[in-house]
Amino acid sequence: MTQTTFEEAARSILSGDADAAAAIAKQGLEQGIDPLRLINEGFIPGINEVGDQFGAGRLFIPQLMLSARAMEQATEIINAAFPQQEGIAQGKIVIATVEGDVHDIGKTIVATLFKANGFEVIDLGRDVPTARIIEAAETNNVDIIGTSTLLTTTMTVQKDLEEALKEAGLRDKYKTIVGGAPVTKRWADRIGADAYANDALDGVRVAKELLKGR
Amino acid sequence: MGGIRTTGDLVAWMQLARKMKIAEAKQYVADKLGIEVSTLTDEEEMRRLREELGIGTIISVSGSPKGILAKIRISELLGIPINSVELFKSQLS
Amino acid sequence: MSAKIRTRMGDGELVAMSPSEIREDIAVGTRDAAGKAGIPELTDEEQERLYEIIADPSRIVSVAPGDEVIVTDDGVPGSLYCGQDDSGAGIPMSRGQATLTYERACAADTVSLGHSDYSFKPVKNVISEETNAYYNISMGTTAPFIYGAQPNLGSYYQPDGPVRNPADLLLGGDVKAAQEAQEEAAEKMRQDILFCGRKLNDVGCEGLNLDTSASGGDADFMGTLQVVSELKEEAPGMPVIVGASGEFVLGMHGEVTFNDKQLAGMYPHDQVKVAEEAGVSIYGVAIGTSTNESLAWNVARSVTFTKAAVSAANIPIHVNVGMGVGGVPMCEVPPVDALTRATKSLVELGKADGL
Repeated sequence: MTQTTFEEAARSILSGDADAAAAIAKQGLEQGIDPLRLINEGFIPGINEVGDQFGAGRLFIPQLMLSARAMEQATEIINAAFPQQEGIAQGKIVIATVEGDVHDIGKTIVATLFKANGFEVIDLGRDVPTARIIEAAETNNVDIIGTSTLLTTTMTVQKDLEEALKEAGLRDKYKTIVGGAPVTKRWADRIGADAYANDALDGVRVAKELLKGR
Repeated sequence: MGGIRTTGDLVAWMQLARKMKIAEAKQYVADKLGIEVSTLTDEEEMRRLREELGIGTIISVSGSPKGILAKIRISELLGIPINSVELFKSQLS
Repeated sequence: MSAKIRTRMGDGELVAMSPSEIREDIAVGTRDAAGKAGIPELTDEEQERLYEIIADPSRIVSVAPGDEVIVTDDGVPGSLYCGQDDSGAGIPMSRGQATLTYERACAADTVSLGHSDYSFKPVKNVISEETNAYYNISMGTTAPFIYGAQPNLGSYYQPDGPVRNPADLLLGGDVKAAQEAQEEAAEKMRQDILFCGRKLNDVGCEGLNLDTSASGGDADFMGTLQVVSELKEEAPGMPVIVGASGEFVLGMHGEVTFNDKQLAGMYPHDQVKVAEEAGVSIYGVAIGTSTNESLAWNVARSVTFTKAAVSAANIPIHVNVGMGVGGVPMCEVPPVDALTRATKSLVELGKADGL
């Protein structure tokens, strides 16, 4: 019975059916399935499969968005079943394409998958000045600052962010993740970012890893 | 392939004009030049032949055609229309 | 114990790997490409030959005499005078000087002209400048002289363009509106490219390069293919090159088609078939480099995609090779050892018609 519910949960996400996802979440809880198991063994494998299929070009952005919304619906219902303060919210992230760079397709996909995985996302858009990124992080009390860049000429702005955080005495307050076509793990290490993400799915994995044991 | 230093430009013309795959394009150019495919990238041989044919040389030889005149000759040699050449001819007439 | 082999990671970092590690990466790389695109893996013999190329102790490698291929360029003359944005050398010289320098000092197979913004939308506004420059320079060039720009659907979205930004609409959950916005933008893009193509044809353009197509997703690719069909009707004497932007067509829209074929998710061996139908003369496949993987993994993957595309194609395939594509490391100055290993492999094993 439980296994069937898990499979149905994953299927609802894969098909982007928000109504079905909500119904299965409710049904699973009524059956007495542990909320954490329901999300981890039912819905998350579904969204992971969506991410994999998207990465392979077998599933497209409109379907990705529908799956993400279905995931949000299910997550909301399951979250409400947790005792106060013990929700499954993964963390809060502010995300932006750095100043001087107008490429935002990749960043938008990252934001979507973060939301689908239970993160609260503040998406500042593209061409965002460093000062505004820090201001949004402070205002929203986020855990992670994620920046994207497609250009070799704007990747240095990710370094500027690290410096600006240090100057403001905020560097240890946030975890920073960098991504984008010319960005590499070596670049992340060089500028002192906490992590590098290869793609959207990797970003989610890295963020969860960074926030472990908070 | 070496551009006008050898025959890279000529093979490129065939790929563009006739959508030829590389082997077919090379063979076509070699046949038109009356040489082996292996000679297409022989700088020594092509330096002489290109000057003889007036199709442009990598070394600037005084009075030897380059530019649009070389392209007119290339168009005739390869038996393909070249847009700029067609325009130029229409302007001359 | 086997000696370690000097090789690279996808970000250009020099590393030392054992023969078995390189062979393993080749096997995993080709399997990854084959699994994703539903195409054959490289054979054991091809994998072993690829190992020999990667492990060659020479600084640079090359194909055998007689196996050389054409190199078409996408704005190399511009790289002589442009700055870092275009990986340029920043030499103060004119466009005409740069074009002839590339042809006669670098012995280029083809030469090209492009606007510094390199997208058709801004080119439309200065088309008479471009056609004037093209015509004047074309009188002096001998090698095929190609005008290039990107279709760049993204430039039609707000705030850069007039159409509502589908990324915003998608985040708001309005999939239909996002799809309609892409269709509207693709139509504007098609009109702009057609306008520029006609004007360039009027001044005797020897080839038009629609570079980095589908960078805005499947609607971008649709508009590109549509305009190629139209230009082939109107200007049959002007060959058209289309270059890709990635190994599969990103499904930003998800449902647009060309000749009843869904474009989203198409891999190179299918991309080239619709390109052929549209009338493209040369198709440029593009395979991204993963910075986290080795040169062996990346080249194996690129060769696998290329071999399938070349096998499917009736037109010449030129593989995009350069910073971050075709197995070449993603760094501003691609190391020549990695670059030549990638190009040799793509020609010798991928059977590419050009680069």
